Amino acid sequence: MFNAIVSADTLRTTLDSVSVLVDECKIHLEADGLAIQAVDPANVGMVDLSLSADAFESYEADGGVIGVNLSRLEDIAGMAEADQLVHLELDEETRKLHISIDGLEYTLALIDPDSIRQEPDLPDLDLAAEIVIEGRDIDRAVTAADMVSDHIALGVDEAGEFFYVDAEGDTDDVHLELTREDLIDLVVGPAHSLFSLDYLQDMNKAIPKDAEVTMELGEEFPVKMHFDIAEGKGSVTYLLAPRIQSD
Amino acid sequence: MRLDRFIDDFQRDEAAERRRLAEEKSYAVIDYLDEVTDRFDERLQGDSLFGSTAPEVFVGRSGYPNVSTGVLSPMAEDADAETFATSADWYAEGLGVGDVLRRRSGMLNSTRSAKVDVDDVWDGFVGTQREVAIADHPVDVEVGLADTPDFDVDVDDITTPTGPRARAREADLAENPHVPRPVEKTLEDDDWAAEGAMTYLYRRGFDVYEINNILSAGALGQGHNRRLVPTRWSITAVDDTVGQYLRGGLRHSDTVDTVEVWTNEFMHNRYWVVLAPGNWEFELVELKAPESVWNPDATGYYLASAHEGYEGRTGYVEETAGAYYAARLGVLEHLADRDRQAKALVVREITDDYWAPVGVWQVREGVRNAFDGEYGEAETFRQAVEALAPQLPVSKTQLRRKSNLVAGLQTTITDF
Repeated sequence: MFNAIVSADTLRTTLDSVSVLVDECKIHLEADGLAIQAVDPANVGMVDLSLSADAFESYEADGGVIGVNLSRLEDIAGMAEADQLVHLELDEETRKLHISIDGLEYTLALIDPDSIRQEPDLPDLDLAAEIVIEGRDIDRAVTAADMVSDHIALGVDEAGEFFYVDAEGDTDDVHLELTREDLIDLVVGPAHSLFSLDYLQDMNKAIPKDAEVTMELGEEFPVKMHFDIAEGKGSVTYLLAPRIQSD
Repeated sequence: MRLDRFIDDFQRDEAAERRRLAEEKSYAVIDYLDEVTDRFDERLQGDSLFGSTAPEVFVGRSGYPNVSTGVLSPMAEDADAETFATSADWYAEGLGVGDVLRRRSGMLNSTRSAKVDVDDVWDGFVGTQREVAIADHPVDVEVGLADTPDFDVDVDDITTPTGPRARAREADLAENPHVPRPVEKTLEDDDWAAEGAMTYLYRRGFDVYEINNILSAGALGQGHNRRLVPTRWSITAVDDTVGQYLRGGLRHSDTVDTVEVWTNEFMHNRYWVVLAPGNWEFELVELKAPESVWNPDATGYYLASAHEGYEGRTGYVEETAGAYYAARLGVLEHLADRDRQAKALVVREITDDYWAPVGVWQVREGVRNAFDGEYGEAETFRQAVEALAPQLPVSKTQLRRKSNLVAGLQTTITDF
C-alpha cells in the first residue's frame, strides 16, 4: 500500500539526485518514509537517499518496493509548478503508479524490481578527513577543473590546514585552496584522491548551491558527500570511487 | 545510425598540404606516376577500359549528399585485382608506405557524381558499383571514360590512398558477380537496422574491410536509410559498431589476471598496448613526431588522446579520430578471443619515417598484430608505465597530463 501527497519541488529534487547516476531504480516504501539506493552500471558512483514521511503533505506506506523509470517519472513531475502538489498512489492489482497533478492523471507502468540491478552494500569506510563545504564551492571547483582536465584531485594539506582541489591538463592547471575560514568546518587528516570529473559533475548538478555538504576524504579512497534535501526532512549521500595512481 | 557523428572538420587544403609533404618525402611516387601514365595509355581501348575491378569501391564525401563515387580497376593487365583492395592481408605481406602508394596509384578510380540516396538503385553506374561492392571476388567491368585520367595520389588519415582518377560515362558488368549468402540476407532484409546487419556479417566471418564496402555501397540497413556512405565515414562507422558489439559481450566477463604489455611496429608506427586488470576502460594516446606528415611545423611531439570508460563514450572523439576506433577494435578482438575484459592503454608513436598516411587500416592491423608473439608482464599498471616511459619520446609528466589512464585507473565501489 502506498498513497502519498508531496510538493512537486520535493519530488523533483529527490528524483534528480538519483537520476544523475541511473536510469532506473528501486524505491523502498517504508512506513516512515521512502528510501532509494542505487549504483551506476560501472559500479563507480553510488547514491543513498532517504526522504522522511514528514517531507510529505500526507504519507501512507507499508514497506513495499517498486521499480521506476526515472526519466518518465521526472517528466511527469516536470508538468507541475514547483509549489503544486503531486498525488501518488500505487495500484497493487495492476502494479501501476497513479499520479495526479491538479486534474491531470497519469498512469505509470512500473518495472519489476527484481530486474533492476542489485545495489552493493554501502562499504564501511574509515575516512580520515572531513570537510564541511557549501554546495556553491564544489560547483566552482568542478567548473574550473573541467576547463583543463577530465579528472580532479581533492585533498587536505595537514600542515597548512586547508582543503585543496587540483586539476592538471595538457598544458594548464587549476588549483583552489579553502582554509578553515572559507569552509563551514574542517577535520584535518591525511587525504588525497583523484576522481573522474564526469561523475563529479553529475553529482554536482544535484547538489543545491546553498547546501552544507559534508565531504569525507581519504588517501586513494572513495569520497563520501552528504547533504540534506527537503528542508532537512531528507538526506542524500553520494559515494564516488577514485581513480588510483598507486596500482 | 547517425552518420553525422562521423563527420569532422577535415579541411581540403590540409589534405593538399599533406599530399605535398608526402610528395616531397618521396619523389619515387611521382616517378611511379609517370610509369603509370604510360601503362595506362597501353591499357585503354578507345575511351573504354575493360578488366577486373578490385572488390572495393570509393565514395567521396565532398559535396554530400551529391558525392563522387567510383570503382577501382588495376591497370596492369595481369594484375590480381584482389590484392589491390585494402585488407588484413596487407599486414602479412609486410607492405611499406611506398608499396601501398604504388599499389594504389596503379589503380584507376573511375568516378561519377551520384546522389547518395540509393534505395533500390541497381542499374546504371551506381548499380554496377554496388554489385562490385557486395561481390566477394573481383568482377569484370567495362568502364567508359568521359575524359583522360588525372594522375595524382590522394592521401587521407582514415581512407586508403586512391590513385589516378577519371570521370566515367558508364560502367557495365561483364559477368555475374558472386554474392555471398549472408550478404544477400542483409541486402534482402530492408527492415534490418544497419548496426545489427553489420555485426551479423562480422559474426559470419566477414572482416571490417568487406563490411565497410557493403555499408559504403548502401547495401544494408533499413530501406529508407539506404544510401551511399562516404568511405571515410563508413570505415569509422564499422569499426565503432563492431567494437561496441564486442564490448557489449565483455560487460560481465572476468578481467585479465596480470598487467600485460604488448608491442608492435608497423610502417614506422610503434605501438604499445598495456592491459591491466579491472573493468573495461580504453584510451589511445598518439605521439606525433615533429616534421612528420601529421605534425609538419612543430619542433616538439604533438600529443593527442581519447578515452572511454566502462559504458563507452557518447560523443565523437575530438582527437585521434578514426585511429581511436581502429585501435579499439584491435584490442577488443583480442579480449573477446580470451573472453576477458581489461583496462587498455594504447600508445602509438608516429615516427618521422611514416612519410605518407596510408589510411587507418595501418593502425587496425598494427594493433591487431601486436597480440601475436610475446608480451611483458608487470606487477602493476604503474610499473608498466615506468618501464615504458624511457622508450617513449616524451616525458612521463607529458604522458600523465595527456592520459587519463596514466593519471589514474578508475576503481569501483566494491574494490573498497
